[in-house]
Amino acid sequence: MTSFPYIERPRWTCALGGALAAAGNLPQTVPILHAGPGCAGNFAWTNNGAAGLAVTGQCLSLSVPSTNLQENEVVFGGLDRLSEEIVHTLEIMEGRLFIILTGCLPEVIGDDVESLVRDFKAKKVPLIHASVPGFLGDSYLGYEELLKTLFREVVKPSAAKDPALVNVWGVPPTLDPFWRGNILGLDELLKLLGLRANFFFGPQATLPGIKNSSKAALNIVVSGLYGRQAAEVFQNIHSTPYVLAPLPFGAGASERFLRLVGRALKIPSRKLSSIIDSAGTAHYTYLEPIVDVYNDMEAQRHALVVGDANYGLALTDFLAEDLGWVPELTVITNDVSSDQQNQLLDFRRQTGGTIPEKLIFEHRASQIKKMAEEIWPASGQKKYYNSRRPIFVAASSLERTLAADLGAAHLSLSYPVANRAILKRGYTGYSGGLSLTEDVVGACVAGR
Amino acid sequence: MTFFEAKIPPIRELRHPETALAHGALSCPSPKQYRSQKPHECPIFSQADRSFTQGSICPLLPALGIMCSLPKTVVLLHGAVGCGSCANGNNLNVRAGNAQRGRSSGDVVWLSTALGELNVVGGGEAKLGEALLEADRAFKPEVILAVSGCLPGVIGDDLDAIVARVQPQTKARLMAVHCEGFKSRFMATAYDVVYHALGRHLMPEPSKKIEKLPDTVNVMNVGSMGLVDENELSRLLAGIGLKTNFFPVFSDPLSFHQAAAAILSVSVCPTHDDYFLTRLEEQFGVPYIIHHMPIGIENTRLWLTDVAERTGRQKEAKKLIIKEEKELNLALKEFKPLLAGKTAFIAAGEYRSLATSSLLRELGFIIKGIRSFHFDQYAEVELEKLTRANQEFIYNVANVQPFEEANLLKRNPPDIFLGHWHGNSTAARLGIPTQVIYNSGYAYLGYQGVYDLARRLHRRLSHSSFYRRLGRYASLPYRSQWYQENPFSHIRNRGVQ
Repeated sequence: MTSFPYIERPRWTCALGGALAAAGNLPQTVPILHAGPGCAGNFAWTNNGAAGLAVTGQCLSLSVPSTNLQENEVVFGGLDRLSEEIVHTLEIMEGRLFIILTGCLPEVIGDDVESLVRDFKAKKVPLIHASVPGFLGDSYLGYEELLKTLFREVVKPSAAKDPALVNVWGVPPTLDPFWRGNILGLDELLKLLGLRANFFFGPQATLPGIKNSSKAALNIVVSGLYGRQAAEVFQNIHSTPYVLAPLPFGAGASERFLRLVGRALKIPSRKLSSIIDSAGTAHYTYLEPIVDVYNDMEAQRHALVVGDANYGLALTDFLAEDLGWVPELTVITNDVSSDQQNQLLDFRRQTGGTIPEKLIFEHRASQIKKMAEEIWPASGQKKYYNSRRPIFVAASSLERTLAADLGAAHLSLSYPVANRAILKRGYTGYSGGLSLTEDVVGACVAGR
Repeated sequence: MTFFEAKIPPIRELRHPETALAHGALSCPSPKQYRSQKPHECPIFSQADRSFTQGSICPLLPALGIMCSLPKTVVLLHGAVGCGSCANGNNLNVRAGNAQRGRSSGDVVWLSTALGELNVVGGGEAKLGEALLEADRAFKPEVILAVSGCLPGVIGDDLDAIVARVQPQTKARLMAVHCEGFKSRFMATAYDVVYHALGRHLMPEPSKKIEKLPDTVNVMNVGSMGLVDENELSRLLAGIGLKTNFFPVFSDPLSFHQAAAAILSVSVCPTHDDYFLTRLEEQFGVPYIIHHMPIGIENTRLWLTDVAERTGRQKEAKKLIIKEEKELNLALKEFKPLLAGKTAFIAAGEYRSLATSSLLRELGFIIKGIRSFHFDQYAEVELEKLTRANQEFIYNVANVQPFEEANLLKRNPPDIFLGHWHGNSTAARLGIPTQVIYNSGYAYLGYQGVYDLARRLHRRLSHSSFYRRLGRYASLPYRSQWYQENPFSHIRNRGVQ
């Protein structure tokens, strides 16, 4: 982690927020916050400006049960309040699974939530607990902690494995603003291989599916960072091996994804090649109509990519490989240790795909601006110089000012996304690649 | 000693111990009961709480709404990394507000000390000190607000001591703002903590001689009003020969001292302003009016008349009001036939919910229910206005709590629901057309506000297909049994009278 004394405009919220975004998107699940009075409100207001307008879920925003701890509980303990809250949650809220998420206050004052949960479990209440105080870390960590809790507490052990069943995670709900659509795109890819997949979160997920996910023959973590530890936990308890795969945006990455998963499941390579060939042909049938104009408008761009560990790599790869653009600088905005940075680079090398020309880890927008200005100094210097223009900024909403200063087209893709409405759109798979082409090229011709 | 001499401002519960009640309880089920029992005498109106609660809004959120709007200011959140991420939401308002004011609309500069486990054990003071120095160096702001979330309040970091220690080393003015969410149930404490910091650090020395600005009045703006509302109030006050000094939202922190030079301060929202108005009067002799919120025809008239009386401009005001109301009533004729007899349910901040209900009555609506975030002495006048009409309505005091709202709305759905930011999805998912009760891009205040809200309500009620279709397919997270129960069955009295 950075030794810097602050994080500038964090592009995430805390562990509690990440866990809540995940828990609130599990099927038939009611999260219960054991936390301060403003935590739920804070997450709602955060996502209002960051998650592609998506704030409300079945039991999210300000509907989530919360103990709203006050000074009285901070001094005398909050367990009585939590116990009461659970009892009434069971009376009022519709759900088959209840997840207590503990925030900073009860964790500092030392509420023994585990013993309370045991009492309820003894009465057959489907209640589990994840300890995710904000001081533990960021939302990615909260997402991972929630996954581990699910794998330990909800997934039922099963020795028998189904060779056509896989589990997929690594797309953190909300932090990946396109998570719903990205899940659909991944599902589409896995169907090409004749596989069924559990994604745990989102409208397609089911509680029986989650409980029986131990039958999966393979776990696929579509991230170099998020969900790795959870994969270890799953493997230890349920003996399902895992592979790490890059988030596959577009045709090139999809091909590698299919090969990687296919190899792990011992699908013959000739069969894989045939699947990939026909999927590619279908894909380019859709792309071909814009080839005339794409060429005539000289659409090739130099690019600045800013995103989290998933998006930074996936967008760079898509722009370089599918569109043949020139990503000059890739910024990964996570606050990660140098070990994790190396881990991510190894992951990129091992799984193929574009290795960014210049990759840096930086959370400070003010620093990103400085680095961009080094690559793209203000013009008017020499008569002949390589301007590395026109520029495209594939980043978050926080890079809008920077893009304007660079005279670049801009598209909000990574969190926070304030200026787009996102429902089902996703960029994974072949069809996601077409959507991403539409959006990126669309942003270039907005003034046409 | 005034409150402002203390480092930490008092929470609302302490500042208004007798009358600032009902942080979250059912108050008066009907006007009849209200008349027979003054709210603060009403046992169910006292400092009750709930045996089941949903997420709520803590003082940090609205406080950040004000702080993020201040130009040349860095907001440094001292807490866990999630605290203050709501600045992403505040940023929308700030970008829009700056654009409306013709300023460059950059993003809010907010930083987090992102306290970790080591800080929980060893304290976060050193990190805060370093962060203040670095923020000063990196951003060169005029002001850095060091804002505490819950965590420093529990681990015992002394925010004020760090700020005082670092101040000599920074160019920026440093201020501590105490926003520990667990300390107050009143979201409105937010306004006091911000005004406390501004009042302590940005006002002139009391000994300094202040040149008064003739004909200039302070108008305290709020984060929920946009430039369009400020322009309307300016227009009305200019109509009686007064100039306006709007602050604190979107105003340069180093210009706040001008407030001491005004001849009068006028509140727009009594929930928001009382703490700082008393400061301006005590310290600088600026008298104030805190009485009505200029939402609705009668309220605007009363608000303007109050100002006119205090500044000796009754004649001008009377003339202006007659002209304005005549013009407005004529314009409203287009909308009134559709609105007459429609039912409405309102949920928002204390004063806005009540004042907007009065406005809706003037447009011909029947008020079915009102939910306020809290209730205190300043709102009694507003509730009284509503009880005059002898219409029964539910009055429920709650910091959000949509489960009670869902129960109330399902029993007795209104034709339209007006709710706070993030307070409309329960009604919308039940298929009830909704209208957000504030949005800083739209007009709500003064005569222009009446017209514009009427126009938008008319549009919504005549084109509400989105809500009808949503209601047919969407669902809420409550068990069906809940709708059979008394909506207030989880309110209990803590025994504090």
